Amino acid sequence: MKKLKVLLVDDEIMIREGFKRLFDWEAHGCEVVGEAADGMEALGQIDALLPDIVIMDINIPVMNGLKVIEVSRVKHPQIAYIIVSGYDDFAYCRQALRLQITDYILKPVNYEEFGSCIDNLKISMYENKTSEQKNSENREDRVISSITRYMQEHLSGEISLSVLADEFHLNPQYISQLFKNEIGVGFLAYLTNIRIEKAKKLLLSTALSVTEISSYAGYSDYRVFTKVFKKAEGVTPSQFRREFLDRKKSEI
Amino acid sequence: MMRMEIALILVLVFVAFIYFSAGRRNTPLHKTFSALLIITPLHLAFDAATVYTVNHLETVPPFLNEILHRLFIGTMPLVVYLFYRYISILVEEETKKPVHFHLAARIYLILAELGALLLPVHYAVTEKGNYSDGIHVSVCYISTAFYLLLCLCLLLKNRRQMDRKKKATIGVALVIEGIVSALQAINPTWLISGMGISLMTLAFYLTLENPDILRAELTEQKMSMLYLKSQVNPHFLYNTLDTIRIQAQLNGDKTTADLLMRLSDFFRLSIKTDKQMTALENETELSDAYMELMCCRYPELEYNCDIDPDLGDALVPNFILQPIIENSLLHGLKNKGYRGIVTVSAKKSHQNCIEIEVADTGSGFGEGVKNKIDEMLTHYDKEKPKTESIGILNVQKRIKLLCGKEFGLSYTENTDGGVTAHILLPLIQEKYK
Repeated sequence: MKKLKVLLVDDEIMIREGFKRLFDWEAHGCEVVGEAADGMEALGQIDALLPDIVIMDINIPVMNGLKVIEVSRVKHPQIAYIIVSGYDDFAYCRQALRLQITDYILKPVNYEEFGSCIDNLKISMYENKTSEQKNSENREDRVISSITRYMQEHLSGEISLSVLADEFHLNPQYISQLFKNEIGVGFLAYLTNIRIEKAKKLLLSTALSVTEISSYAGYSDYRVFTKVFKKAEGVTPSQFRREFLDRKKSEI
Repeated sequence: MMRMEIALILVLVFVAFIYFSAGRRNTPLHKTFSALLIITPLHLAFDAATVYTVNHLETVPPFLNEILHRLFIGTMPLVVYLFYRYISILVEEETKKPVHFHLAARIYLILAELGALLLPVHYAVTEKGNYSDGIHVSVCYISTAFYLLLCLCLLLKNRRQMDRKKKATIGVALVIEGIVSALQAINPTWLISGMGISLMTLAFYLTLENPDILRAELTEQKMSMLYLKSQVNPHFLYNTLDTIRIQAQLNGDKTTADLLMRLSDFFRLSIKTDKQMTALENETELSDAYMELMCCRYPELEYNCDIDPDLGDALVPNFILQPIIENSLLHGLKNKGYRGIVTVSAKKSHQNCIEIEVADTGSGFGEGVKNKIDEMLTHYDKEKPKTESIGILNVQKRIKLLCGKEFGLSYTENTDGGVTAHILLPLIQEKYK
């Protein structure tokens, strides 16, 4: 896979340095191609570098981050934006969601957990790609898409590399490599992602209890589920459900 | 009519008693109102006296009748002048601009008082009852009209800059006094001028001068000052903490970076508390952050938290868990050199209640301490907070206030040492469809 280009936008040099040097971009198949310290500079850098991902602070000089996204979105609709903000503020969050940003994470940033943010982005890029081109000629493409389809359908059961290897008569190492090559994330990261996505869907569309949802999503122990969910989403399952419903209520 | 006057005097004396016995600030506004509270009952007393004397012209000596009338008419302009003073000070306080009618108001007051003192008194005798009339009484009407007009001008001129509540109070008071005076002018035998004045005084007392309201405002001011002090620009603090954390991590000091991360987590969560009730999960999040930091400081301290995830969204009073845990540490585990375990658990108990338990393996209650604490928690509303127990007392008070008297905090002793705090709360959960 080709490396994803990342642009860092934050007015504080220390935050940019931290991102650049403390997160393992290489391991996540990305490289930082540029930085910007204010809104105008960010717009210029986006035009010049055409990044795949922009890591964006909201409260930056000259033009705020949300405005930058709004403006550049018109010209470059394919760019993914990850907002990193110190503002634990609902108004911003709602505005950001309206701009269809990829993710919204709060400072202080935990660099170990930031990786899942990038993984999620890659998975959604992969899913967009497969939904666009249905019947690929490429053999690898066909295999990975039938594996992922199988995983989606058997989420509440046990899924592991060896189960998949038996099902598809393939070598486990080969499947693992396939994930890295085709989607750009590890097998486990992909599995966690689709489990959490399934749980999120159930949290918002049903009245099932958290314990029930955790078993539907393939977690036999709700404690493990809560922990994994919190790590991925920054909030616990019921906080997630509540925040969504509060938002819906306040929009009515 | 005399009965009404006496009733009004009693009401006003009662109001004055409450007003003067409550503590208040010595501002010009409150001083004016104090003067009003003294002069108005006096005026009403003279009013009542004249109502009697004017209807018993034959038995009361004429000079006594005249003196009482002069006192009654003489205090009237003073009362309306004080009303004017009160309103003008109010307007000045609101707009921060001087009012220009003072000289005219004072000159008029002197003229009116001279008139009340010197003009001849005349009595009208009718079938419905007697009353004083003529040029002497007109002093009353002219004074009232004069000062009401001044007040009306002030109100209209400054209506944009004034607080709605104050505007409404002044407006209502003026309308009442205007209507009563007009009625009195049309029906001289009604003798209701005292009613208008009393109602006006009461209007101000109830809305702007009520000691409880004044006290509440004072406390609110103090509280918001404290509040401001306690959250010195949180964004500045987060951002700085984060900068330090990143610098530490860049220098290769992962431990320091993690500690700083947890500290800013705790800090963010603890100032997020602005609602009275919050989800149990938010409470446990805060205590997790707190205990993680404490466990770093004291490595032999252990913390377990086991909450049924379906109780995570149950609503509980804000900031009740952390003070209880802190209490367990300070009074239980500290005595054991911070060696031991704190366990937080929550379960649904009978009849739609939640019971949250904070158990520790600390030193337990000392001799007689258990009784003292039980006593304090039962009589939470009479207790004066002592510094050592202010945390749990505060928790108890808020639970009782927000959830009801049947809920609250209690302590038991564990069989194997240490104590357990039990927090009993109603189960309040939003239903999701």
